[in-house]
Amino acid sequence: MGVGPSTKETTLHHFRDPLLDVVSNDEDIDLVGVMIVGTPQSNDEKSFVGKRAATWLEAMRVDGTIISVDGWGNSHVDYANTIEEIGKRGIPVVGLSFIGTQANFVVQNQYMDTIVDFNKSEKGIETEVVGENNPDYLDTKKALALLKLKMRGK
Amino acid sequence: MFMEDKIYRRLVIKTYHIDRVQLRDRFSIEGKKLGINLEKIDKIISNTSYIKEIEVAIIEPNQHDRWTNSIMDLIPIATKVLGKLGEGTTHTITGAYVLLTGVDEKGNQVAEFGSSEGVLKDQMHLNKAGTPSDKDYIISFNVTLKEGAGTNRMAILETHKACDAFIQEIREKLKKVDSKSYTEKHIFNDKQRINGKKVAIIKQVAGQGAMYDNQILPKEPSGFSGGRSIIDLGNAPMILTPNEYRDGALRAMT
Repeated sequence: MGVGPSTKETTLHHFRDPLLDVVSNDEDIDLVGVMIVGTPQSNDEKSFVGKRAATWLEAMRVDGTIISVDGWGNSHVDYANTIEEIGKRGIPVVGLSFIGTQANFVVQNQYMDTIVDFNKSEKGIETEVVGENNPDYLDTKKALALLKLKMRGK
Repeated sequence: MFMEDKIYRRLVIKTYHIDRVQLRDRFSIEGKKLGINLEKIDKIISNTSYIKEIEVAIIEPNQHDRWTNSIMDLIPIATKVLGKLGEGTTHTITGAYVLLTGVDEKGNQVAEFGSSEGVLKDQMHLNKAGTPSDKDYIISFNVTLKEGAGTNRMAILETHKACDAFIQEIREKLKKVDSKSYTEKHIFNDKQRINGKKVAIIKQVAGQGAMYDNQILPKEPSGFSGGRSIIDLGNAPMILTPNEYRDGALRAMT
């Protein structure tokens, strides 16, 4: 479970996050905020925080959302659940995650049809090289382009 | 119907480029030279319960053919000059970043899900958003914990706190640099684009324990002190303004 060296986002990454840069600079997008949601241990808690995140989005009346995760395995349980809660509410959602060959989703649902895989390693694995499997500008531009398509369909 | 964007608040980030980091008899920023001093390290250690030793080293650009313990974090050096996180003015250093690494006295690496110890040039991918560039200086802050403390959440928090206390000494100098001598100046507005599609970014972050934790809203950009752990917040979703996030509101402890 968890966050490995190659997928972990350092404090420096958050400070210069390409995802924020790309979304906030797009003239067609009104970025309402950045939601930080944790990855708790028990399934009960996972379900609680995922549902709260989706309820927030509904209350904010957003047209769409991009959800990014820096872990995999157990973290994907939360990820899939939160995406499902968002999707069920009719809110277009696009994901960013490390998948490669090692981190296929342990659980899936119908709303996970647009996930951008930001694996950069040749073998598609957790390489233990810091910074390697992080989302970059190209990944985040792809995610935003997918979201725009999804929002247009609404 | 055309309507004007609504601006809520403004954040100015001024960068100060550093092209040399040196050990000196005091902390200093003179022109593009950053001086660091190690006299207070012993005092920092004496305020801790789990830390046995701290070693600080200056790694010059391209001198990465050296051993590194497990990489806990890479941290920018930034400080508030005016206002609180997310508004006002921030000064930040470019050209030098802090590398926080950890091991315990028996050689156990501080990590949770795979660890990154080894030769630095093989364990860190340069030139990414989250890592220094090949031209940057790295200030290595290596913490040796007491035996077995690497899996203790309190010990990890203490490690981040100790590193933050060291960085604060640099921040105090960075607050006082001539505000007109910046290298770059960027202005960011938190605003409502009236005609835009409303989009939220969600970042799902770790929140279970030692090396699987994150803090939000510290006092200083990308800092530790004053922040709140996502674990202590019940992992519940918290909303940051784009400018708060841009101003270093999220501290990784993974």
